[in-house]
Amino acid sequence: MSAGGLAVRVTGVTKRFGDHVAVDDVSFEVPVGVIYGVLGPNGAGKSTTLRMINDIIAPDQGEVELLGGLRPGPEAAPHVGFLPEERGLYPKMRALEMIAFMGELRGLAPRDARRRGEAWLERLGLAQWRDHKVQDLSKGMQQKVQFAATMIHEPELVILDEPWSGLDPINADVLRDVVREQQAAGRTVLFSTHLMEQAEQICEHIFIIARGRKVLDGRLADIKRAAAAEGRVALALQAAADHARAEPLLADRGLCAAVRPAAGSGAGPGLELEVELAAGVDAQRLLAALCGAAVALRRFEVVTPSLHQIFVERVGREAAATAARLPRGAA
Amino acid sequence: MIAPRKRAGRPDWLVIARRELLERVRTPWFIVVTLLGPILMVALVVVPVVLGRVGDQTARVQIVDRSGRLGPALVAALAAEKWRAEVVADVDEAELLRRIKADRIDGFLVVPPEAPAGGAFVYKGDNASAEHVMRSLNHVVYGVVLSARGEVLALPADKVTALLAPVDFTTRHTTGDTEGTSGLAAFIVGYVVMFVLYMAIVLYGANVLRSVVQEKTNRVVEIMVAAAKPRALMLGKILGVGGVGLLQVTVWAVMGVVTINQRGALLGLFGVDAGGWSVPPMAAVDVAIILAYFLLGYFFYAAIFAAIGAMVSSEQEAQQAQTPVILILVIPMLCVQLVANDPRGAVAEVLTQVPFSSAILMPMRWSLGGASPASVLVSIAILAASTYLVARLAARIYRVGILMYGKRPGLRELWRWLRY
Repeated sequence: MSAGGLAVRVTGVTKRFGDHVAVDDVSFEVPVGVIYGVLGPNGAGKSTTLRMINDIIAPDQGEVELLGGLRPGPEAAPHVGFLPEERGLYPKMRALEMIAFMGELRGLAPRDARRRGEAWLERLGLAQWRDHKVQDLSKGMQQKVQFAATMIHEPELVILDEPWSGLDPINADVLRDVVREQQAAGRTVLFSTHLMEQAEQICEHIFIIARGRKVLDGRLADIKRAAAAEGRVALALQAAADHARAEPLLADRGLCAAVRPAAGSGAGPGLELEVELAAGVDAQRLLAALCGAAVALRRFEVVTPSLHQIFVERVGREAAATAARLPRGAA
Repeated sequence: MIAPRKRAGRPDWLVIARRELLERVRTPWFIVVTLLGPILMVALVVVPVVLGRVGDQTARVQIVDRSGRLGPALVAALAAEKWRAEVVADVDEAELLRRIKADRIDGFLVVPPEAPAGGAFVYKGDNASAEHVMRSLNHVVYGVVLSARGEVLALPADKVTALLAPVDFTTRHTTGDTEGTSGLAAFIVGYVVMFVLYMAIVLYGANVLRSVVQEKTNRVVEIMVAAAKPRALMLGKILGVGGVGLLQVTVWAVMGVVTINQRGALLGLFGVDAGGWSVPPMAAVDVAIILAYFLLGYFFYAAIFAAIGAMVSSEQEAQQAQTPVILILVIPMLCVQLVANDPRGAVAEVLTQVPFSSAILMPMRWSLGGASPASVLVSIAILAASTYLVARLAARIYRVGILMYGKRPGLRELWRWLRY
């Protein structure tokens, strides 16, 4: 495993189902050893993308390359673990058998698969359930069995489709620990989610997709820094009189591109604001202008937006742009 | 680029086949059915004979002798067959029927006034539908009447006995190549083989279908297609389920042959004398032919069933979708007599070459000696080629169909694409 190599390279991939374009000319690269999140609203094309990476469906156009040159399919299968969005196990199989069976499908020798299966059950606290049928386990235990079945063959690339959906908080933590362990062992974890909080806690790299198209990708830290530099300021004014004095400045489109009441403001109407600075304006200029106008401030903060905000804003913008394009295209 | 890992274990299709086989073989249900099958077979041989004898011993018959001559002789002859018979005064039939209804007697025999020269003997009774009852009654009446006619013609008793001595008459089935076997035995073997093949194909083929649908409904198919090619999934499933079928049928066949050949000893345990025939000896080539048709026929239909399973998303849909296949499977069953009556005829030839029916009918035609080795080879070649073709097509349908269910956008598009 070469440091700095690519675990996944997706180049110009398109997938159509009839007239519907599920994934439209998408490209991204996942470096080896990172935790990479594919984010998008429902129906954005996340699962279709992951399915193409796993050779469950073939792209109409474009190419997928895994772990520095392997094609998806039998060649790559022993190196890849996949947890599909739709979970399912054989209800009549015993827990250990089920895990070992998946290991064998991924190329492990039978005895090795059993040994590792036992280790995984131990690790996930299910040792005493190894000989119970899957159908007799609780839902949470079944989910753990599913994780183990995904990772038993110690794949260099772990792909998880919506891994946190339907998990209780305890199992969500277990999964987060498992994902971090995988990364610590030098493996790459690629997952999709629409839960921004989970992604923000764990991802180093993200890829946002909406309506089958790439919206944004890169290191999460860089994206956040860029979003912060785009200029957003949280403002809290002292009193209504300050609001009156600030009014002309806030209305100046050369200074503030947009002003809106901050979410959950309780200090009276118009006193807590979120300001989007006009292009080329930095926060210092607004602060100076406000001070110059003798506006008393309780708070002036350059906001680093949460991933949630970035997501809503970027995906929303994209959606708006698409909607604007559509009528002309249709006519 | 990382070094590709070598597969340390078994190939996918084998891992899957093994799982399918173990999951079925390990159930108590499988063990019960496999062991109970032969017990049922033994019961089929023993119970009718034992019951028949029990029935004979309790049969109570009244004889209305309108001829006034044959009554005592009939009573004596029936007693020799362990019937309890008595001659009663002539009453009208309604009264006799009342006695049957009241269960005082099992039946009554009316001897016509014209006997023994003519007239019609009539027996009515609650046991008149049992074939062996009618055979022994017929035998008794026939013997008594012939003896009486002998007396009328003034033939001495020993000459009558000589006249009535049984004729040894057997039928041997042959088409000239072989020495010939008992016609009945050859037909029964052929029929049993055909029926077992039909049952196995229907039961285990439908099992493949059900198991594909179940994988879809409990969504396990998702992790399976991620880990293995759909073709390996289909192949493994068909082989695994087929292995179960082969195992079960082999156990039954061995026990069945043993049961029939040891029939004398078995029936002896119940104090019954077993007559006649045993399973005609089977050469290795016969067994090989039956096995080849079982495997090919099963695979042919199982692939079709698998493809159907991949196309539907619920058990109810599956029921509907499999109906045409079941109908096609029933056709050879309806044509059994055509092959059995004229194993060397053109109809039999066609039916045993068409892949939809050859697997079921050819082993029977072969066991009746109606098929030349060349004809069998051609038929196997056609069946093998069609099986390969069907499996290829089924795999393609399976590949697309297996992931189609529910709610995903573009489902209808996928479906349309599949049909084209």
